[in-house]
Amino acid sequence: MKRKKNVRLTGAIALISAVAVSLTGCGGRDDDSSGGARGASTGITDTTVTLGVTTPLSGATAGPGTCTVAGLKAYFGAVNAKGGVKFGDGKTRKVEIKAQDDAYDPQKAKSNYDQLKGSVFAMTSGLGTPTNRAYREAAIADKVPQVLVMTGDPIFSDTKESPEQLGFVPTYVNEGEAFGKLLAASGQDHKVAILSQNDDYGQGYVEGFKKGVEGASNISIVKELTYEATDTSVDAQITQLAGTHADVVFNAMSITPLAIASLQKAQQLNWKPSWFLPSNTSSPKAILEPGKAMAYPGVYSVSFAKAPQSPAFAGDEDVKTFLSDLKQYADYPDMPAFPHCMWSYMVGATLDQAFQKMKEPTREGFMKSLRDIKDFTAPLMLEGTSVDTTVDGQPAVSSVVVQKYNGTGYATVENFG
Amino acid sequence: MSLATGLLSRAWVRWAITAVVVVVLFVLPLQLDEYTNQNLARIGVFAVAVLGLNVVMGYTGQVSLGQIFFVGAGAYVTGYGASHDWNIVLVFVASVLVPGVIGLLVALAAARLGGLAIAMVTIALPIVGVPFAKRLSDFTGGSQGMSSAFSNAPGWTGLYNDQWQLYIVLVVGGAVFLLIRNLVRGKYGRAFAIVKDNEAVAASMGISPYRYKVLAFTVASLIGGASGFLYMAVIQFTSPETMSFGHSITLLASMVIGGAASILGSLLGGAYYVLVPQWSNDIDPNLTELLQGALLLLTLLLLPGGLATLPRVLARTLRRTRTPDPSERRQTPSAPPAPGRASVEETPTVGGIPAQSPTERQEQA
Amino acid sequence: MGQFIQLVVDGLSNGSIYAVLALAIVLVNQATGMINFAQGGMAVLSAYVTWRLVEAGLPLIVAILLAVLASFIVGGLLERFLMRRFERGDPDTAVVVTIGLLTLITGVCGWLWTYNNQQFPSLFPLHTVRIFGAAVSVRSIGTFLAIVAIMLVVQALFLGTKLGLALRAVAINPESAAFSGLPVGRLLMAGWGLAAALGAVAGALVAPQLTLTPGMMDTALVYALAAVILGGLSSPVGVVCAAWLIGVLENLAAVYVHFIGYDLKVAVPFILIFVVLIVRPQGLFGRKVVVRV
Repeated sequence: MKRKKNVRLTGAIALISAVAVSLTGCGGRDDDSSGGARGASTGITDTTVTLGVTTPLSGATAGPGTCTVAGLKAYFGAVNAKGGVKFGDGKTRKVEIKAQDDAYDPQKAKSNYDQLKGSVFAMTSGLGTPTNRAYREAAIADKVPQVLVMTGDPIFSDTKESPEQLGFVPTYVNEGEAFGKLLAASGQDHKVAILSQNDDYGQGYVEGFKKGVEGASNISIVKELTYEATDTSVDAQITQLAGTHADVVFNAMSITPLAIASLQKAQQLNWKPSWFLPSNTSSPKAILEPGKAMAYPGVYSVSFAKAPQSPAFAGDEDVKTFLSDLKQYADYPDMPAFPHCMWSYMVGATLDQAFQKMKEPTREGFMKSLRDIKDFTAPLMLEGTSVDTTVDGQPAVSSVVVQKYNGTGYATVENFG
Repeated sequence: MSLATGLLSRAWVRWAITAVVVVVLFVLPLQLDEYTNQNLARIGVFAVAVLGLNVVMGYTGQVSLGQIFFVGAGAYVTGYGASHDWNIVLVFVASVLVPGVIGLLVALAAARLGGLAIAMVTIALPIVGVPFAKRLSDFTGGSQGMSSAFSNAPGWTGLYNDQWQLYIVLVVGGAVFLLIRNLVRGKYGRAFAIVKDNEAVAASMGISPYRYKVLAFTVASLIGGASGFLYMAVIQFTSPETMSFGHSITLLASMVIGGAASILGSLLGGAYYVLVPQWSNDIDPNLTELLQGALLLLTLLLLPGGLATLPRVLARTLRRTRTPDPSERRQTPSAPPAPGRASVEETPTVGGIPAQSPTERQEQA
Repeated sequence: MGQFIQLVVDGLSNGSIYAVLALAIVLVNQATGMINFAQGGMAVLSAYVTWRLVEAGLPLIVAILLAVLASFIVGGLLERFLMRRFERGDPDTAVVVTIGLLTLITGVCGWLWTYNNQQFPSLFPLHTVRIFGAAVSVRSIGTFLAIVAIMLVVQALFLGTKLGLALRAVAINPESAAFSGLPVGRLLMAGWGLAAALGAVAGALVAPQLTLTPGMMDTALVYALAAVILGGLSSPVGVVCAAWLIGVLENLAAVYVHFIGYDLKVAVPFILIFVVLIVRPQGLFGRKVVVRV
């Protein structure tokens, strides 16, 4: 009996191996995997260029993840409909996007990269720190550009560490610092309570905030608490922070329902401080309205993108084109619930700039022209912000403006209060 | 069929086949393209993880929802050791032993509890493991994770990285599979099976259910650590996300889909873990969850015993269609409902379901 | 002191979220003998149906009742056409089937209604009242009372009605239940249907706080399972109390036990399970079972 079993297993392995060998046929490795134009890199032909995205399209971060693809598809859908991008080498190419779901799992992100790198010109727009980090070193080794990714992790903007990379959104430190500076300049005494996400996102914001208020004697941080991104409630934290009677809350939170719940909970406790929220959880419609943010003396956020929900931009040409592109080319009929939709649209515009300038259809040529964009105001950008890829150590967008909620949308502010 | 089996049962034929397999496995990485090599290596990583889960769950019948924790722990130890330039053998030993010791300690306590309580204690491992890994950020790199390129091909080999990594997986994974195959087919395997079947009977036979549960759990965590070593060798990156609870659940599903208590099933389970997300991405990246759920249900509806039972189910279906003998038809319903058990039939029949469910259900009453 | 009471009250309100899902899990377990990982997913699907009906203009309470009815039917059909094939088989396979179901349902919700957060209307207003100096929202109180009511109904169902006895008889021993003339198939369907209906209520109760997303119940599911084991599978009152205990102790440990803190508070229910089960293997309120060999 036992013997017979062995036979079957060995037989099965032999069969599998034989099939595998016959399937793969002739072996050997073809190093030059380029397709299309002569001398061109992978993923670019005389008529097309293909971009790869690995981003969460299922699971807890699928909401913003879907947006990182939708904006990109909307932008290039519209460009392709007009014929395509006129590249610096004189050829006009259509831009194709291959997006894959990694469910915020680093292992799957690496797997997606392994699969995509054989057919795409560059990786772009993907959301997430661990997922982008999972294939960062492989991308460097393979010389595949991994650019304008959606993470505020500063390593992606360090040219020495990451020669093939460039972050798009401001680092978390940048955003936290902007608010810290505004607060420090108010001239009044403030007691600040901090609630931050227990990961590089929250830590980056807090680090930036502290940098911004460094040396300001009018600011005292009275309590710092954290929460986990998987928590269902932060009531206990808010209760504890309310006990400090701080007049400002610095809330580095990336989870939509928790942001709403925090705003609601503090009101229930009759604690009404001024409130800071990061750029990705400051949506007027999705967060501030259900959180009844008008009850607070001020809700502040930082931004570089026009909020399409805001009545102030309802008639804005950029916003109108953006929303119709989103509907027509990205199959995203709703009002964007996350700013990532606007950001990835700007990523598209920035890539467009780099494409227009690149003289040869190679990845090296692309990286060179991408790192040479200055004072470019992408569509949807707020006044006072721009794309600048020439500063080492900074992502493509490093300038943000601080804004204050006015009941329907946001208005840029110069002073706190 | 019988001719082939007859031929295969001769010793020299089996040796020849084994030799051919070894040669093929040696040559294969040199012949395949990079992506295929990487995918095979990934399958190997998770096949080892599923194998570990099979030892404690498939063979010994103790529900474990924490296997991914040991994979993550092994990966962290590997990354830490490699970044501190430990000797590679030391790195491997540590990456297996550290999760093994944690597993042993947890098992010493958890094995005292009955059925579902073990499940809850093991569920805690990944759930507490994620914030714990963040807290130990000096060792783990915190939420940004850690990279390690220790498994890049050394210059003298003249190999590509993917080929070298696949060799690492083949050697380590192959060794683990052989060891476990011998373990579950020997004295220990029989003891595991009796413990799974009925603890009271086991005790009356002088087999301590407690001791064997602890043993199975510890072996599973050692293998989990080995899988973590391979994870770091192949993915070259780990972060707290690696051991998130959802992946543990997927490992469990992969084990059942591949075939519980089956060596071949573990291999197929690893393939399922890696390939299905890729396929669902190829069909529609926006519908991955829907497609994965549908495929899982479909597979189990067709093959309740897992993919490893496919040949047997096919053979039965063929036989049935060829000879529409009513007497055989009538027999089928009374056949064991879980053909997945077939691959361990040389052990005293395990998990014969009718025998198990009454006790199980009474415990819950 | 004020803070302490507030933390306890907050903990009870969190615990209520775990409790309502735990009750559905207990119901299915008592009626069919299995643990349904898809219970949270099914509750989310019901909540989406409710939400769509409200969007279509129906009053919330009517929408919830319709969703409860629909869930009862869908739950029964799932048992009849999917789970039935696995009930007598390997219990591990059955558990994995419910995992597959969870994945599928989550995927369907994401596909039909996107992964964005949707605002779900609440049955109860968000006004605040003060109890012993602690601020409590009417919503939390309403949820709390609703759960107590459901708990009593489930407890009475199992202990005091013929239907409940029949359901449990089928779960414990389907063969002898069939011999004694019980309609085993229909009872199993009823068990799943009732649990799904209860899930629909659960979804409607917690969705206003968690906001509606396909993965809304994922974390709550883990806590609910912990409460189920801690309270004892056979006792609805037990699991609800265990859920509240978990909610409260988790908050207190995070604030007052320095080593645990907010990041490791998730360990609290498991430490609790561990300690309790070593002393009382049947759970806090479970009945002791003699296993026959």
